[in-house]
Amino acid sequence: MNATFGQFIRTKRTTLQQAGQGYSVRGLASRLGIQPSYISKVEREEVAPPSEATIHKIAQELGENPDVLLALAGKVSEDLRQVILKRPVLFAELIRQLKDAPDHAVLRIVREVRDGNW
Amino acid sequence: MIELKQDKLNFSFPEVHPSAKVKITFQRTLRIPDDGDDYPLPPGLGSFPLVHTDDYAKRVPASWAEHGGVVLPMYQSEAMWIHFEGHYDADRGVNYPFAIKVATGKINAVSGLSWEQGLNRTPRQDYVVVPRQPWLDGYCVEKGVIRQFVAMPLGGGYTAEEQVSGKAEHGGLQIMAIPMKREVFEKRFPVVPRARYSFDTVRYSSRPCAKVFETPSMGLAPGGRMKQEIYEDTYDLNDWDLDHNSRCFVHIANSMVWRQITGRNPPTVPPTAEEYNRRGLPWYDYYSDVKAIDGSLTLACMQSVAEIGKEKGATPLPENQGVLPGLVIDIHEKLTKDQVIEFLG
Repeated sequence: MNATFGQFIRTKRTTLQQAGQGYSVRGLASRLGIQPSYISKVEREEVAPPSEATIHKIAQELGENPDVLLALAGKVSEDLRQVILKRPVLFAELIRQLKDAPDHAVLRIVREVRDGNW
Repeated sequence: MIELKQDKLNFSFPEVHPSAKVKITFQRTLRIPDDGDDYPLPPGLGSFPLVHTDDYAKRVPASWAEHGGVVLPMYQSEAMWIHFEGHYDADRGVNYPFAIKVATGKINAVSGLSWEQGLNRTPRQDYVVVPRQPWLDGYCVEKGVIRQFVAMPLGGGYTAEEQVSGKAEHGGLQIMAIPMKREVFEKRFPVVPRARYSFDTVRYSSRPCAKVFETPSMGLAPGGRMKQEIYEDTYDLNDWDLDHNSRCFVHIANSMVWRQITGRNPPTVPPTAEEYNRRGLPWYDYYSDVKAIDGSLTLACMQSVAEIGKEKGATPLPENQGVLPGLVIDIHEKLTKDQVIEFLG
C-alpha cells in the first residue's frame, strides 16, 4: 500500500461516489459534521490528517478498517498505544521481527485457546 | 484456531477459506420450570464471562490445566444456552456452514453417545449444522423437544454424564467445530452479484436479550422440557472437512470457585421464570422448514433434576413452579426481505 492518507481517502470516496449517492465532498462532510473545505484540504494533503476520532468516523463512512487509515495517517490508535506502552521494547522488537513475515506466520502468533489432553 | 475475544469463542480456519469462521457464546438465561410441561425458548440475558484456563493455571485443579480450554462461572441450578453465530460471506450471500458437536461431561448432547472425534449419522446424527441451528438449549430428548442445560455439581448424580456413563469424571462442556470443505462451499454457493442478494440465510446476532477446592467441577444436567428442534443435516456427510477441526473444553466453575480463581464476581443471579413471565416479557418459538431429527433414546431415559431431587427428598431447583408463558414471539428461519417477526401472545 503506497498511497498516502489523502490519496487513499480521495480514491475511496470517488469510487463510492461513482457507485452511488452521498459520497460527494459535501455529502461526506455533512455526515461527518465537518466543513467540506476541510475534507478537500485533507485529500489534497494541504493539512495534516485529522484526529483519531475523525479518522474512525471516516473509516466507518467509507467502509474501511480504521487501523489501516490510522496507519496511513501515521497514527496509532489509543488502545494499541496503551498495549505497546506496557511493554514498549518487547513490542517494538516483535513488530520488527515480523516485518517480512507472511500473513500466515503472523496469524500463528495470535493467542489461541489451548487444546490440552482430554 | 480458536481465539477468545469479548467472551466469545472465535473458531476460524483461514487454511480452509477466509470466511470459514464461527463464533460461539454461552448465554445466561432463566431456568424454565422442570414440571413436565413443554416451554417455549427463554431469552438471552447476556454472555457468561470466559477466561483462559492457562491464565489461572496455578489456581485451577490440575485436570483443568491439563484439559486447557476456558472457564466460565455458573450458579448451581442456573441454566444456559449456546449461541452459534456464523460468518457471512458477502460474495456468496450466505453464512459459511459448520458442523458443531456439543457434549457435556463428554456425553454428546444430540446423540447421547460418548464423545468421539468425527461426525456420525448412524445410528443417529451427533452434531448440529450452523447456520441452520442458531441455538442449542439442551439435550435432544424427543423430536422437537430438548431438556434444558442446568448446572449441577458433579458427584450428586444429576448430570447427564453421571446418568449415562455412571461416572463423574469430566464435567463441563466440550465443543468441536468442523467447517464445510472449501470446494464444496464454493460449488454449493456460487458468487452472486450484489443485486441478487437474497435473505435466504438469516443472520441472528442473538435471541433478543433482555487445586485448592474440594468440589470445583460442575456439570450440566437435564432440566425442564423446551420446544426446540434439532435439524437434520441436509448436506452430504462427505461435505464436511474432517481434516480441519478445532475443539475446546469449557470448564464450569461454581460462583464461589470462580471468585477464588479469578478474583471477580460472577454475573448476577438471573430472574426466575415466574418473575420474568409476570413482567410480560417475551418467550420465543423458532421454526424452520427443515426436518427435525428424532430424540436420543439414551437422553430421553435420563431423569430430570427435579425428578431425581424428588426421589432423594431434596429440592435441587428452588422456585420451580410452573408458569404459563404469556407473550411468545414467533421466529421463522427464512425471513423474507421486509418480513418482521410476529407476536403470538
